[in-house]
Amino acid sequence: MLTLRLAFRNILRQRRRSILTGLSVGIGYLVCCVAISMSEGSYSNAIRFFTEDTTGHLQVHKKDYLRRPNVHKHFALEDITESLTDVRIAAYSARLFAPGLAYAGDNHAPANIIGVEVETEPLVTRIEEKLTAGKFLPASYEINETMPALVGAGVAELLEVGVGDELILISQGGDGSVANDIFTIVGKIGTRTSGDRHNVYLPLLAAQNFLTLDGRIHEVVVRVNDIHDAIQVATNVQQQLDITATDIVVSPWQTVQASFFRSMESDKRANEISLGIILFIVFIGVLNTVLMSVLERTREFGVLKAIGSRPWTIARLITIETSILAALGLVIGVILSIPLIWWFATTGFDMPEPIDIGGVKMQSMRGEFSLDVFIFPACIVYVYALLVSIFPAVKAARINPVDAMRST
Amino acid sequence: MPQVIQTQNLSRRFGEGDTLVRAVENVSLTIDSGEFTALIGPSGSGKSTLLHLIGGLDIPHEGSVKLSGVDIASISGAALSDFRRDHIGFIFQSYNLIPVLTAEENIEYVMLLQNVAAGERKTRVSEMLELVGLSGLGHRRPPELSGGQQQRVAVARAMASQPDIILADEPTANLDSKTGATLLDVMRELNQSLGVTFVFSTHDQMIMDRAKRLVHLRDGEIELDELRESVAT
Ligand SMILES: Nc1ncnc2c1ncn2[C@@H]1O[C@H](COP(=O)(O)OP(=O)(O)OP(=O)(O)O)[C@@H](O)[C@H]1O
Ligand SMILES: [Mg+2]
Repeated sequence: MLTLRLAFRNILRQRRRSILTGLSVGIGYLVCCVAISMSEGSYSNAIRFFTEDTTGHLQVHKKDYLRRPNVHKHFALEDITESLTDVRIAAYSARLFAPGLAYAGDNHAPANIIGVEVETEPLVTRIEEKLTAGKFLPASYEINETMPALVGAGVAELLEVGVGDELILISQGGDGSVANDIFTIVGKIGTRTSGDRHNVYLPLLAAQNFLTLDGRIHEVVVRVNDIHDAIQVATNVQQQLDITATDIVVSPWQTVQASFFRSMESDKRANEISLGIILFIVFIGVLNTVLMSVLERTREFGVLKAIGSRPWTIARLITIETSILAALGLVIGVILSIPLIWWFATTGFDMPEPIDIGGVKMQSMRGEFSLDVFIFPACIVYVYALLVSIFPAVKAARINPVDAMRST
Repeated sequence: MPQVIQTQNLSRRFGEGDTLVRAVENVSLTIDSGEFTALIGPSGSGKSTLLHLIGGLDIPHEGSVKLSGVDIASISGAALSDFRRDHIGFIFQSYNLIPVLTAEENIEYVMLLQNVAAGERKTRVSEMLELVGLSGLGHRRPPELSGGQQQRVAVARAMASQPDIILADEPTANLDSKTGATLLDVMRELNQSLGVTFVFSTHDQMIMDRAKRLVHLRDGEIELDELRESVAT
């Protein structure tokens, strides 16, 4: 208690120096918070973008499908629905894939044929919002009419077709036969540069029919309520699946977009290291302040030791003083950071040129406003404060009372 | 009377070769409980060094120091800190109070180290302030007190932990002679009423006149150990 009081008063004794030190710590902290907020913000934007666009938060496949997709690695949705009961799951939808070619007149284009569940796909991704012409796939269609298809902008351009036109798809059926059929374009999706430009979406049943894969699917895409739960939900679902199904694997988006995730993680680590270095420089200043204050008080510490303070008590005093300085810096830093980061998170700014974040183009910069943004730099500040206090603390603890009192 | 301080052939040197200084040389001194002893001698005669050795702040090259029968060479580190805290009170020439603590808090400090209960601490602080004649000034910080007042706080601080011995190195050197004499009276009163053993060093003739026993030092050695019948008041 007295040590704490003593520490506070010592900090107050050198008011200007303490405030300057606090300010430097505060500004260092601010820089870290802003940098982390920006990086978290742009990454979570990118993640939100691609998870909502196509990948969802979790995907279920036959084992090894992600690494080596293959028409034959299919399963039935019924095999796994029992395992998708986690309350954190918001929606899920099944898909069927096949590479193919699309023809219209003399034109042809490569096509990623994707069968989607018309009712549930829009609950998992933003597919409906990406429509640029026509309508989304109808929930039902006449069997004897040609089946509906939704085409990516790239396919439409190469084939020179639009809504209402017909196209022919050719692919390989699940039984090894050649699949081909005629489809009517009901809508157009995305832009000529977006990732979906070569996609051709069919209603799941039509796709199964076309590929002679009745009742089979390649993928189930899952959206969870909170993206942060993705890994936990994946683990949970996997555990249930292991009991009822074989060779079915659940992958969170971190696995589905493994290369993005890895580059994001290494970029974040690099970021953290440079922030650590910035704070390290700040704390060299703090070290200087603390050392100076110890040298100034050599005599005082000599007296404290002479009258019976243990060395450890003196060392603790210095550590507490340094912690108080760091805390002062944190208070200043948090006061400065909160409004700034709030602004970054809510308003942000637009980029003159879109920037590429792990392969996703972003037009505007938004920060992230979350506890993590504030906590991580605070932890570094505190750890540094403790580290920086060790040397002066030991120095003070080892002061020889006789020498200390001889010096005036 | 039990012997509270006992030094045996105590020697402490500084430097070596041509610059060798025998600060304390072969000093054997016994001080009984309740004595009021002055170490006197010219500058450089080893008074401070001897007090430091007795107080366990310095380590002798030869000889031993026993306080209340305990050889202080046998304890070190935190235990030595605790020993000083519980058995020795120090008063220094230049007051050496903690400037950021009030007079009361300075007095309270060692008791806090001793884990004395809060109520007891409060009682003893006001008792001590009263004994040194500073009642009502306890909330002041050292810079707001005169030199004499600060030194009385230092006496109160040394007394508060209820030590066996109080070692005072030229406690009056920074005070004018009248203030110095008053401080000495305070110390002697405490010595008489509470029986605390005082050992102090001084240059000041008037202060020497108030001591019952005068240990004369010269070049680190005891030149004369003088017990006097009549003492000035
Ligand atoms: N740390 C040291 N290094 C070198 N010499 C020292 C040291 N401390 C004391 N001395 C020497 O030891 C001798 C005794 O010093 P000490 O301070 O004990 O004398 P003193 O009687 O207290 O003198 P004063 O009346 O001036 O305070 C002196 O010659 C001094 O120079
Ligand atoms: Mg001296």
